[in-house]
Amino acid sequence: MKNLPSLAFEDHFNISPSDLQKILNISLSRGGDFSEIYLEYKIYNFINMEEDIIKETAESISLGLGIRVLSGEKTGFGYTNDLSFAKIKKAALTAASIASSRTSREASSLNPVQYQHNFYPVLESPHKESLEKKISFVKETYHSAQNFNRKIKKVKVSLLDHTQFVTILNSEGLKVSDARPLMKLACLAVAEKGNKREAGFSGGGGRVGMEYFSNLTPKEIGQDAAKEALELLEAALPPAGEMAVVLAPGHSGVLVHEAVGHLLEADFNRKKTSIFWNKMGKKVGSSQVTIYDDPTIPYFRGSYNIDDEGTIPKKTLLIEKGKMAGLLQDRLSAKLMQRPLTGHGRRQDYSSIPIPRMSNTYIDRGEHSPDEIVKSVKKGFYAHKFLGGQVEDSGKFTFSVSSGYLIENGKLTAPVKQASLIGTNIDILKNIEMIGSDLKFGLQTGTCGKEGQAVPVIDGCPTIKISRMTVGGQ
Amino acid sequence: MQRETKPIELKELAENLVVFGKNNGADEVEISILDGYEFSVDVRLGKIENLVEAGSRSLGLRVIKDKKNAFASSSDLSRETLQHLVKNAVKRAKLASPDEFSGLPALSKKRIDISSLRLFDPEIPNLDSKKKIALATETEKIALKDKRITNSHGSSFETREIRIIFANSNGFLEEYEQTFCGLSLGLLAGETDNQVEDSWSSSKLHFKELDSPEEVARKAVERTVRQLKPRKIMTQKVPVIFEPTMTSWLLGFLFACVSGVSIYQKTSFLVDKLGERIGNEKVTVYDDGLLPGRLGTRPFDAEGVPSQKTLVVDKGILNNYLCNTYAARKLKLKSTGSSSGTSVSPSNFYLQAGKIAPEKIVSSLEKGLILIRTIGHGLNPITGDISRGAFGLWVEKGETVYPVSEITISGNLGEILNNIEMVGNDLDFRSPLSGPTIKIKELTVAGQ
Repeated sequence: MKNLPSLAFEDHFNISPSDLQKILNISLSRGGDFSEIYLEYKIYNFINMEEDIIKETAESISLGLGIRVLSGEKTGFGYTNDLSFAKIKKAALTAASIASSRTSREASSLNPVQYQHNFYPVLESPHKESLEKKISFVKETYHSAQNFNRKIKKVKVSLLDHTQFVTILNSEGLKVSDARPLMKLACLAVAEKGNKREAGFSGGGGRVGMEYFSNLTPKEIGQDAAKEALELLEAALPPAGEMAVVLAPGHSGVLVHEAVGHLLEADFNRKKTSIFWNKMGKKVGSSQVTIYDDPTIPYFRGSYNIDDEGTIPKKTLLIEKGKMAGLLQDRLSAKLMQRPLTGHGRRQDYSSIPIPRMSNTYIDRGEHSPDEIVKSVKKGFYAHKFLGGQVEDSGKFTFSVSSGYLIENGKLTAPVKQASLIGTNIDILKNIEMIGSDLKFGLQTGTCGKEGQAVPVIDGCPTIKISRMTVGGQ
Repeated sequence: MQRETKPIELKELAENLVVFGKNNGADEVEISILDGYEFSVDVRLGKIENLVEAGSRSLGLRVIKDKKNAFASSSDLSRETLQHLVKNAVKRAKLASPDEFSGLPALSKKRIDISSLRLFDPEIPNLDSKKKIALATETEKIALKDKRITNSHGSSFETREIRIIFANSNGFLEEYEQTFCGLSLGLLAGETDNQVEDSWSSSKLHFKELDSPEEVARKAVERTVRQLKPRKIMTQKVPVIFEPTMTSWLLGFLFACVSGVSIYQKTSFLVDKLGERIGNEKVTVYDDGLLPGRLGTRPFDAEGVPSQKTLVVDKGILNNYLCNTYAARKLKLKSTGSSSGTSVSPSNFYLQAGKIAPEKIVSSLEKGLILIRTIGHGLNPITGDISRGAFGLWVEKGETVYPVSEITISGNLGEILNNIEMVGNDLDFRSPLSGPTIKIKELTVAGQ
């Protein structure tokens, strides 16, 4: 037996091209407008270290296919991980049943597409690397955090890598594949002082190879987590109320993701549930604000060569100088809204229906220096790191800040922990007073959830000043 | 469409892999297989949006060699792949560190009578697709008759049937089947720039116990329109009433803090608090995996340890942590049948009901907030600190006067447990984490 399963992954399915063509035809046997087969093979490795030992390693294999049929606004979907022709046919018939015409249609003959770009040209593929080498990275991170300071009482480090192979075939004749690596090294450090206990977090990764960690080293990741935990030991709870808020570059990108990105996903606008649905071309924020979603940034966690519907993705302008300029489209919404595809149809895995999703989302750089921005605030709150955020279609959102500082007379003063920022997206976009020249991205560890589907994303922003925002604290 | 089960094959597969693992050098082997079937339909504005139907299987395994652990899982159940994974797991185990606390649980003499748990409803596999679609359609239709509702996120009906097979090298070999059904509806009210939204759902193991379309629609409408025309409020400390859904949310946080895994990892504010007072005498919390027909009910956990009823908090005194076998060994306690693998999961984790009707709790409130929803991530188990975006109803002189939004609530779980003034009689087990209406003496509500 070979050490690893063969990576010519379509072999795992053992389905002939003519059978795939048959399945596409069966999916249209009830008269659907469009049918698609999504083949996915994913290998996954995990290492966990805590209490000074390598606690466990895990390996996982996921193999299956999903069949989708579109008929007007309706979607029929079946999936299976039993790859016998009979079971695949059954999934195709399930998907087909969404349409109810007596006339069947024929799928176009398949025409393989070979694109020329690769947004993740990794040197050392994580799935080909030895477990020993990965374990050494985990240990290095662990000891770096542990040895940073005596107050660090607990450390937890995990390294996760997966490689996802997909092939998408559809009734328009498309056949296209992608192989997407993804790594994530994450470190949690807990510091103790008296009966106080605080946790710090750091990590890195993306669609990268092992070589990534010679740039952002395991040592740095461990130290960063320890530093944050130690700093939080000295942090107080923030004051509550409305005040000026300065968002740190990078980590604060979660705000653009939540407050703006989600509501510019086409499905929410097509259904008129997003507050933005009637605002295309209109001014929705300060003229300093320009926002992009770009799935083509090399090595980034949210990037992909093709989206999960086989579309070549494009850097997509969402807000231009304060005006709403675009939406993130998948096939269904683009067709119903008669808009061009942007390549943002993503799915968690073969058992999920593709929906419009973000990839790498950011507020573009402005003209102010970060110093100038902090100096302009007499009394306010500096949000440094975030645990996450959540938004509703009405535009109401909440962000959980894990660490920050008070701003007093233009200077960062006391460290502050555990605050919530709350507001309505249009208000915040309008209240953006200054944007820094220091565009950065957050940690390459983020995952976004929508309708129960998790996909890797990252977001970024420069230093930003918001004139007024509600801060929740004591 | 019916699920095609091949009962004997999967059970044999589990048994055979245990033997295969032992023969290939593993000291201990554990295999779990999940065979599932799902149906779901989403209807929006009267039309079907998505119709999904599928069957899938997956297998999880753990091998232990010289007290070293390795895990694997696969959705490819071909013999070659599985045997490869077992062999590779034995190899990988050698690269982990020995861990004296690792190991499978000893085979328990206790046997749970699976049929007494009412896990399986034979009606669910036989429900007609047309009927399932009609349920979702009907629910939304009823709600849209209300003129205050301006848009819909849609209504969904779903069913699941799962079969779980579990085998290990200590001689455990059991299986059970479970059904599930759920009906849900999300609505919006108000114009685009002032819109509010909410949803309601009913989930049950038995179809007959599911709330009717009328009931789901009524609750979803009521919960949505009551938020129309919200006001902002000034930052202040006031008494706060948690609706049952909010008590459930709070219990989810408490569960994370009484998890034996969080305790041995020292990531909970309740470390070293066993036998100590962590709340007032109104706080009694159980985790009960044996309640017949409830959403969290199960005969055994993910390590094959039989379920039990565990008294977690006894009138304010912390009585037990919820442990898997590993956490139990670490903490010198017994497994509570709470394993979900390397972590723990609640079965039916609930705050024991009091005697007061929820309306009486509201009428007792001179001035304060009824918490109806929270959003965000602000929970810190290490400190117990809570900071979340919130939506609520403002109460004056025992009456709801207007909805409030754009507020945050902040407090600390330890303080909340000590400040519960009233516990309602409306415990409904509508989720595996469940609690009645409660009134908290004081929380910080941040607004303007």
